[in-house]
Amino acid sequence: MKKKQIIFTVIRYIIVALILLFLLFPLYWVLMTSFKENMEAYKFPPTFFPEFPTAGAYMKLFTEDQYFFRYYINNFIVSGSCAILTTFMAIISGYALSRFHFKWNKWIIAAFTSAQMFPVVSRMISLYGLMGKMHLINTRQGLILALTAAMIPFTTMLMASFFDSIPKVLEEAAFIDGAGRFKILFSVIIPLVKPGILAVGIYSLLMTWDDYLHATTLIQTDSLRTLSAGVSVRYLGELSYDWSLVNTISVIGIIPMLLLFFFFQKHLVKGLVQGAVKG
Amino acid sequence: MQNKSITFDPNKKKGAPFMRRITKDRLFALALLTPSIIVTVMFILVPVFDSVIRSLQDYRIKNIIAGTPGKWNEFANYMKLFSNNKLLPSIETTFIFVGGVVLAQFVLGMAMALVLNSNLKGARFIRSIMMAPWIVPTIISGLIWMWIYQPQYGLLKYVVGIFSAGRVTDFAMLNNPATALLGIAIAALWKQIPLTALLLVSGLANVPEETMEAATVDGANAVNRFFHITIPYMKSIIKVTTSMSIIENFKQFPLIWTMTGGGPDNSTSTLAILSYREAFVSNNLGSGAAVTTIWMLLMIGVVILFNIIFKETKME
Amino acid sequence: MSKMKKVLALLLVFVLTASLGACGGSPKEETKKDTVPTDTKQTDVTQAVKEETDKASGDYEFKEPVTIKFANYGVLEAGYDKFWNDAKKGFEEKYPDITIEFMTAEYGQMLTQVVTWVGGGEKVDLVFGEASWIPTLADAGILMPVTDAFSEDYLSQIYPSMLEAMKVDGVPHGIPMYASPFIMLYNKDLFEQAGLDPNSPPATVDEMMEIAPKLAALKTADGNPVYPFGMTTASVAVSGSCLTSLIYGFGGSVLSADGKLDIDNAGFKQTFEFLKELDDKGYNPQVSKLKDLRNLFALGQLAMYYDQSWGFNGVRSINPDAIDFVASAAPLAGGQGTGESLIQAHTLMMGNNGEAQVEATKLFIQYLLTEDVLIPYLQNVAPGYPSMKALSEIPGITESPVLAGAIKSLDTARSATNIPTINDFNLELTALAQAVTVNDKEVDQAINDFKTAAEGILSN
Repeated sequence: MKKKQIIFTVIRYIIVALILLFLLFPLYWVLMTSFKENMEAYKFPPTFFPEFPTAGAYMKLFTEDQYFFRYYINNFIVSGSCAILTTFMAIISGYALSRFHFKWNKWIIAAFTSAQMFPVVSRMISLYGLMGKMHLINTRQGLILALTAAMIPFTTMLMASFFDSIPKVLEEAAFIDGAGRFKILFSVIIPLVKPGILAVGIYSLLMTWDDYLHATTLIQTDSLRTLSAGVSVRYLGELSYDWSLVNTISVIGIIPMLLLFFFFQKHLVKGLVQGAVKG
Repeated sequence: MQNKSITFDPNKKKGAPFMRRITKDRLFALALLTPSIIVTVMFILVPVFDSVIRSLQDYRIKNIIAGTPGKWNEFANYMKLFSNNKLLPSIETTFIFVGGVVLAQFVLGMAMALVLNSNLKGARFIRSIMMAPWIVPTIISGLIWMWIYQPQYGLLKYVVGIFSAGRVTDFAMLNNPATALLGIAIAALWKQIPLTALLLVSGLANVPEETMEAATVDGANAVNRFFHITIPYMKSIIKVTTSMSIIENFKQFPLIWTMTGGGPDNSTSTLAILSYREAFVSNNLGSGAAVTTIWMLLMIGVVILFNIIFKETKME
Repeated sequence: MSKMKKVLALLLVFVLTASLGACGGSPKEETKKDTVPTDTKQTDVTQAVKEETDKASGDYEFKEPVTIKFANYGVLEAGYDKFWNDAKKGFEEKYPDITIEFMTAEYGQMLTQVVTWVGGGEKVDLVFGEASWIPTLADAGILMPVTDAFSEDYLSQIYPSMLEAMKVDGVPHGIPMYASPFIMLYNKDLFEQAGLDPNSPPATVDEMMEIAPKLAALKTADGNPVYPFGMTTASVAVSGSCLTSLIYGFGGSVLSADGKLDIDNAGFKQTFEFLKELDDKGYNPQVSKLKDLRNLFALGQLAMYYDQSWGFNGVRSINPDAIDFVASAAPLAGGQGTGESLIQAHTLMMGNNGEAQVEATKLFIQYLLTEDVLIPYLQNVAPGYPSMKALSEIPGITESPVLAGAIKSLDTARSATNIPTINDFNLELTALAQAVTVNDKEVDQAINDFKTAAEGILSN
């Protein structure tokens, strides 16, 4: 029995080690490449640790490059606004979906569910024409609205599942006390779903941070581009690959979200799981 | 006690004052839902509907620019897709990709979850660092893997060289039609496994320990316990993670487009790539829309089928 | 009930302000969705008025400031960006009434983007790009014939062969800025190391295959292998153009003058047999993009490869010393062919958005084609053969190592048949190359498969 248990433990550690190696080694590799000279990066067989570590690519990025950080800031503005807007709309709509059961709820849920599935490519041209009519092309507002629209179906339903877990008695009590509907929603119910709000907010921040197709299509001015679009237009150019720089950009591009994630991961995980199980 | 008699349930008839309350509830709910509905309809459903209409028309870029409506062309877009041997291989590639990634993701995610759920030392720490790939933007994850696969000085070439004892010296994942799709799938898995594992590990926490212990006492082995206790308890979380992963991989576009552009020899040309090529490279929006329509129908079909299968197994 | 209405109104206001707040200091009109229809109408009216006044004012005197919208991927490319920004600055100083606004997208997406932009109601006045984009853009109705804007006299200063490449239905739809056939760049140092004469590159495919083993036996200082010959076959449209050029070199053809498939010729088949042989012997880096080949060439791992002359800019950005070992040669002659090449031009294409826009755009094009602006660019940034006959004798062009060796291929180079689906067709051509190389299909079989797919594309 004991022997069996030891084998079992060993197997477990091997599984974890292998999967972790798969998940984390590429990041290590990118980090190492970013500290190599360009010529060393192109060396074969590759070196697992830079022979002559250099922060040259970072220095170049921080001092000479005027574009990267603009994309970066833009992405924060766009994703941040999206997260706020999405969360707000998910709260009120999720509340309505969860609390008031009418005939048309079914249809709304069906619409939301199917809306999650439609590929962006299929609606890009129509979307572009539509937004052109509203003068929202090539503006941050337009991009924010389009991205928010893409996030709303999932987040609304996630939020609804949080409201489902709040007993209705609380609202009824408040209603008897004479509180208005808004007051009930904002001062009684919302404080109770804080974990859900955090989860939705961070989730939509992370997801919109990843957007590529919306930004490449809807934005034409370089100074408004977001990170993924900017990286692909400026650093994956037609002429050549500068892999050291690309790796450096990848590292810098990952770090803030990584920190954000580690900081909030408890809420995010709890929220997503709770929402996902219920929904 | 009186409080409980007032309820939000609209099915209970309570006379005139209550009717008014229902109307107000309706209005209130409608008002709260309006912004989300407007945005979803305008930015998602209308464009999709528009694209389905277009799939039935001869509709090209010049129609947009001149503002002329497309012409009904008796399903010519669909007929063409079937006649030029493009659609079926793409559907096949898409299904292989989705099926493979979803399955591998579930197996690896579950393995990781099971291990993390057993009282492993440092499980909490592992759980948080393993999430790193999930937050890497798709474009960057594509770049990372292209760099690893790079045919002349990539890491993978070196590793394969070592493991094959120097016999395979020119391993280039993305250049070989037999392995290119696998290469993309690995990049997709890399980004997606963490979330799956995380959701599953949280689902495992819901499996009551007493039931597990009781089963162990009754002499059920680990495999039996897994299939008869763990899986049924995790049904809903498995369902959600799997359908999320089906949808995500069905839609996968940027990763494939940046990594291979559908090549080599169309071996990674999924429906996403085909529709993009038809619509934006060939500039035939009608036929591109036909691909997307088929694509969406297939996806909806798969998701529905998946849900039906899940419901049935629940009955047992 | 009135209370409910108030609540509703309040809510709407709240949502509106919330979205406004989120948008961060946006002009108010833009987020008010409900006023959109009237808004568009108004702009339509004002635009009509503007156009009328433009017509009234007649010509070169700009009554009000004009902004040219210039779709240009080059602004994003390290190496090109400085030139374009300087050109904008210089031009705006010269013509204070005219402003140039760049619209940018990455090279591979540019064509799609222009179409999406114009389709979405955005006016594009000028596009900088490949000559192969012309048929697509002209077919979409985005381009105006340049004969409508420029005088016969001006157009006659341009090389006729280059202007020929701009034609759709016999009318030129673009002004070539500079051109290059696909040429062969080679590494003189590697030739020397292999014991070959660095000044007499191979002229035919057979000669090349003869010296290839010597080059393949070389190793770089790091011990990396050297590829003798690079030919791009990755799934990008420009690789298809490069393959077309190789087919021309074998005396073959791809498309007939009226845009029909024309591949039942020896040259076409021999080209793909040649590619298969290259691949079997491991001479060609598989499924590489031009930029992959440029990297390898810059690192001294590639002895010869096909590229446009300005591709050298990419080589230089990896290894600034590459100028010391680079030389150019005419593309190889294979089979019964004479080594003809496909001409590629970086082209300026105009949209028609009213007279004032057109006049301003015209001034800008003329400004770009002056010696002071263009020649330093061709010398220092993007090696290429200027389109203006008057500029071709300048020593910086005739003596450049990247340009000198291949200067004669300019005279024999052919232009591609202009069809609107050329890009998708080119992608299919790369798929054929991949089929016979990495997928090990038989050449005849692969060509048959290609026929089915290509017919489908051409019938589009």
